[in-house]
Amino acid sequence: MTDFPRDALILGGNRIPFARSGGPYAGISNQDLLTAALDGLVARFSLQGEKLGEIAGGAVLKLAGDLNLTRESALGTPLDPRTPALDMSRACATSLETMVHLSNRIQLGQIDSGIACGVDSASDSPIEVTPRLRRILHRAFAAKTAMQRVKALSAIRPADLTPVPPRNGEPRTGLSMGEHQALTGAQWGITREAQDELALASHQNLAAAYDAGFFDDLVTGYRGLARDQNLRADSTLEKLGSLKPVFGVKSPQVSEPTMTAGNSTPLSDGASAVLMGSQEWADEHGLTPLARVVDARSAAVDFAHGAEGLLMAPAYAVPEMLDDNGLTLQDLDLYEIHEAFASTVLSTLAAWESEEFCREKLGRGGPLGAIDRSKLNVTGSSLAAGHPFAATGGRLVATLSKLLHQRAVETGRVQRGLISVCAAAGQGAVVLLESVTD
Amino acid sequence: MSAVTGTGTSQTGERIKDLSEVPSFPAIYAAALDPRSALDPRRARRAPQADPTLPSIAYRVRKVRIDAERARDFDHLMGGPATDLVHPGVLHVLAFPVSLALLARRDVPFALLGLVHLRNQILQHRPVRVGELVDVECRVRDLQPHRKGRTFEAVSTILGQDGEIIATDVSTYLITGEGAESGSASAADGSASGSTSSGGPEHSARRAFEAPRPTGRWKLPADTGRRYAAVSGDVNPIHLSALSAKAFGFPRAIAHGMYTASRAFTESGVDLSRPLRWDVSFDAPVTLPGTVLVAYDDDRGSGDPQGSGDDRGSGGVRCVGWRAGSGDKGPRRCFEVAVTTLG
Repeated sequence: MTDFPRDALILGGNRIPFARSGGPYAGISNQDLLTAALDGLVARFSLQGEKLGEIAGGAVLKLAGDLNLTRESALGTPLDPRTPALDMSRACATSLETMVHLSNRIQLGQIDSGIACGVDSASDSPIEVTPRLRRILHRAFAAKTAMQRVKALSAIRPADLTPVPPRNGEPRTGLSMGEHQALTGAQWGITREAQDELALASHQNLAAAYDAGFFDDLVTGYRGLARDQNLRADSTLEKLGSLKPVFGVKSPQVSEPTMTAGNSTPLSDGASAVLMGSQEWADEHGLTPLARVVDARSAAVDFAHGAEGLLMAPAYAVPEMLDDNGLTLQDLDLYEIHEAFASTVLSTLAAWESEEFCREKLGRGGPLGAIDRSKLNVTGSSLAAGHPFAATGGRLVATLSKLLHQRAVETGRVQRGLISVCAAAGQGAVVLLESVTD
Repeated sequence: MSAVTGTGTSQTGERIKDLSEVPSFPAIYAAALDPRSALDPRRARRAPQADPTLPSIAYRVRKVRIDAERARDFDHLMGGPATDLVHPGVLHVLAFPVSLALLARRDVPFALLGLVHLRNQILQHRPVRVGELVDVECRVRDLQPHRKGRTFEAVSTILGQDGEIIATDVSTYLITGEGAESGSASAADGSASGSTSSGGPEHSARRAFEAPRPTGRWKLPADTGRRYAAVSGDVNPIHLSALSAKAFGFPRAIAHGMYTASRAFTESGVDLSRPLRWDVSFDAPVTLPGTVLVAYDDDRGSGDPQGSGDDRGSGGVRCVGWRAGSGDKGPRRCFEVAVTTLG
């Protein structure tokens, strides 16, 4: 008998190259993108006809008709159609959460294998009717007589017919995510130069990783795209420095706006998938596990009235998870901190270095301290790759797992890595992974 | 119609005519409707040929790019995801106008309009990717007597840029009326099994159709033909509207046969990365708007209780589609599709 909980292992991943909104994936649906990512994973790991324990996926910008998006996508692949699937959502942390969900189920012995995935298309995001028109139409549908129907429909005014695109901003504050981060960045004194340097490093690291073939077994081309469309291998600090600030320009609290299109992620399209399983399942299928899921936490902050910055929840979740595992921030070998904005990463790091923040907000004796920046986002991150919201977690998990395994094989030592993802509505999800070697 | 860039003669003595591009459907249909044209439907009645033969010529178009947007629209119309591996129906619609251009030749001894698509078989040896360049070659062959006229095969070959054959598409058409064999019904039924239909769905339209338990229902709106025409380019007026169909003797518009066949292919969910055979036989037309009941029979090993799935993917999926009966009229089979994964 296996003792539970047992290890949940990351066995590999596959994603399609991320595209900029309106780019090569225009006219392509979430289901198309997710099917492509899953198809590639199935091909990579010879899962044709395989019945898996569960597929967990999701999308942030999701059509109402896509309620079973993950199941419908899986049915379009050569996987056994008897593989169950579910949809989940935690904004930008969605596919990190789908991974944690499957990890929990594998650890408890409820399933032996699964695919965590996520997808988003800003190019094909839902456009709805106004709430007023929706209610008028429902009244008209419910009408018993033609007269009642005409009466209901006569309430429609021209303004009701305006299509409603996805909300670009926090419903409780009216500020966009970028505007929120501009306030947080100003509060932490994050400079334009530091943000542009982080953005440049992201592009340079991602380009170098592609050139080194690192993504050969993590990315499958789609619709003629072989690399992430947003990647600018030849970017320079001069080019980044020439861009105009776009966020914080209307905020009186921000004396000098610093956030540009270069140090913020663009709207993107893409999908990612991660194959997970127990040790037994991996052995049966001849797969080499890359990493095991050690722990995960989520946190939320009270951003609505300004008590904390919108994207600062991971700054709270990470110390809690490290404490519970008896680790310090510096015990980690690699850090994957999602680059929603360069300013988000830098604000989080600044908070951990701040005596005041760590004492007053985290209730600790002192700061967590600085990290070795050469261990941060070493193969690039969202600033270069792009950020199709629900696909980013899967990208991070597959990338970090491969890196941890590679380095453990090279050094002969167990490698630990952190994933930190901030999400809309003041939330955050973090995960601790550890290398697995034979 | 597209310009001819040259002709040549192959080693077998067959002439090859190179077209500079895939011809457009409207031009072909316009030519077929021109009363001065040799393609006039009345021509067959005017000048029946005692011993007709098919021309020994191949039409070829080189370096045709598989358009990603067209493949996407085709996938979406069939209700499937837009995959980088191309639905074989896209290969069919790619080659179809080349075949039609060949059929529109003056030395083809029958009228283009009024042909009835009886069967189709595509054998695909390897997957085709969107954006890929292929050569298309079309021929006609195997003119045979049939109970209701004659049949022949239009054969399209899709070749890779290294000359390998990627796929072969064999469409069997009926030329109604002409040369019909009377009093030899047994031979006529036999004629439905042409040289390429071995292993294809059984052609047994003559027997009473017993509908299986349906697994799905297609509600096909009136614009089904127009939507398929938009992605396939096949603007044959019998598919587009009741009015244009009436002009050709159909009371209502009828769905493109290859629309129903392609949708059944997508719904069969076979692995496009593997070699496959796709057999289709058509019986009663699907009138639009209309409802078709379908039943799938999947013997790819999903009944495997262990769920190991090792044998899944071998074998195939069959689909039969029919119109429900009403009153004293029994159900009528419209099409039967079999998709078989090879190796």
